[in-house]
Amino acid sequence: MNPALICLHEDALRITHPIFKFAPTGTKAIYVWDDEYLRRANYSLKRLVFLYETLCDLPVDVVRGATRTVVMAMTPAMLYVPATNNPSLLSLFAGISPATPLTFVDDDIFAVMEKTSEARRFFQYWSKVERSAFLHNGGALA
Amino acid sequence: MQLLPKNFDNRESLTDFVAALAPWAAGGPSHIQGGRQSAEKMLARVDPVAYGRTRNFGDGKITGLSPYIHHGILSLNEVRNHALSRCGEPVQITKFLQELAWRDFWQRLLSAHPEWAWDDIEPYKTGFSASDYAGVLPADIADGKTGVACIDAFIKELIQTGYVHNHARMYLASYVVHFRRVKWQAGAQWFLHHLLDGDLASNNFSWQWVASTFSHKPYLFNLENVSKYFGRQVDASPQNNQPLHASYETLQEQLFPNLSRSL
Ligand SMILES: Cc1cc2nc3c(=O)[nH]c(=O)nc-3n(C[C@H](O)[C@H](O)[C@H](O)COP(=O)(O)OP(=O)(O)OC[C@H]3O[C@@H](n4cnc5c(N)ncnc54)[C@H](O)[C@@H]3O)c2cc1C
Repeated sequence: MNPALICLHEDALRITHPIFKFAPTGTKAIYVWDDEYLRRANYSLKRLVFLYETLCDLPVDVVRGATRTVVMAMTPAMLYVPATNNPSLLSLFAGISPATPLTFVDDDIFAVMEKTSEARRFFQYWSKVERSAFLHNGGALA
Repeated sequence: MQLLPKNFDNRESLTDFVAALAPWAAGGPSHIQGGRQSAEKMLARVDPVAYGRTRNFGDGKITGLSPYIHHGILSLNEVRNHALSRCGEPVQITKFLQELAWRDFWQRLLSAHPEWAWDDIEPYKTGFSASDYAGVLPADIADGKTGVACIDAFIKELIQTGYVHNHARMYLASYVVHFRRVKWQAGAQWFLHHLLDGDLASNNFSWQWVASTFSHKPYLFNLENVSKYFGRQVDASPQNNQPLHASYETLQEQLFPNLSRSL
């Protein structure tokens, strides 16, 4: 069994993402170019070129293959993945756990909700986050 | 399993390489480049104060940051912090912060309700039911050959660049759903195919907002509005945009006859 592995995805392509601090120092990071996932997403070539250019700027290995196969072959003791709400990505990673333990790591927050009850319309939401939205780091971090 | 290359002599060879990886992917590259360096250049150009006054105009001081924010190349937090450093008083950038907040709002909604991504959240408030709308995007819309000059210009931009101004996205969505009576889902799928920032939450909930399945009323526009905001960018002449050349009252009656009848 190998140490931990960070697997980035199309929603979180930057080296300052909190995942790099959250995972143990020196954890290897990859992006899996998953043909089947991208084909199913039905992206135009311009979207794929933009994605690929972004990957070229990132200091991570870009590995082509099926996400599950690639990750399983690396047999990580723990897999770290940036949190996402994209159902296609979630089901992709759901296929990897429970064989490999998986931790989703949240991005920096934009704003803190003052009350946690759900806001259905934007201005209900805005009234709950307005104060925080005007603050550096949303007022949440040191 | 194959390690993919990350160094290319030029953009053309990178594009050729990606095209060979994904022979099923249609079209050509956008002039908008991916990567952190491009994102930082765009971020440096943001003018969050002028944004508030001009954002609705085709040539307004919008940022073009959405492809970078969608891919997490820039975080919303980072963009907000940068904007705060570019204003005298935070209140001057209220509009800009609110627009960033729209994204945060849509993301939170999708996390809480993934099933809302493709379902009508509420019924249409157009006097029609969902079954009155076509399920497939007509070919003339997909190809940008509707014969409505400004709409075709916006579609051309969508296809060629993968980026469209927010106001023009609203026009396109309203045209598809209300003028052509096509289900918002068909339009949303079409946008996700092309947009470099194509994002399930921002895109689909915005389509639902325009359609009225997630707002109090359908979003309508007319040629006068296009002419005011995009008159310098597109052909907004009445002769080349006939279906849009009417008052809001007339359009409301034409497009939503069942609503007028029930008044
Ligand atoms: C029908 C329709 C479909 C849309 N699809 C998408 C999409 O797939 N992806 C996407 O990111 N946005 C989408 N939007 C929202 C908005 O149009 C874009 O975020 C904006 O036009 C991006 O351009 P910009 O970066 O120059 O925005 P700016 O006006 O410069 O705004 C700065 C940032 O604020 C956020 N933002 C601004 N306006 C909105 C908004 N109305 N809703 C949510 N976030 C906003 C974006 O992250 C944007 O990058 C859609 C809007 C409509 C009406």
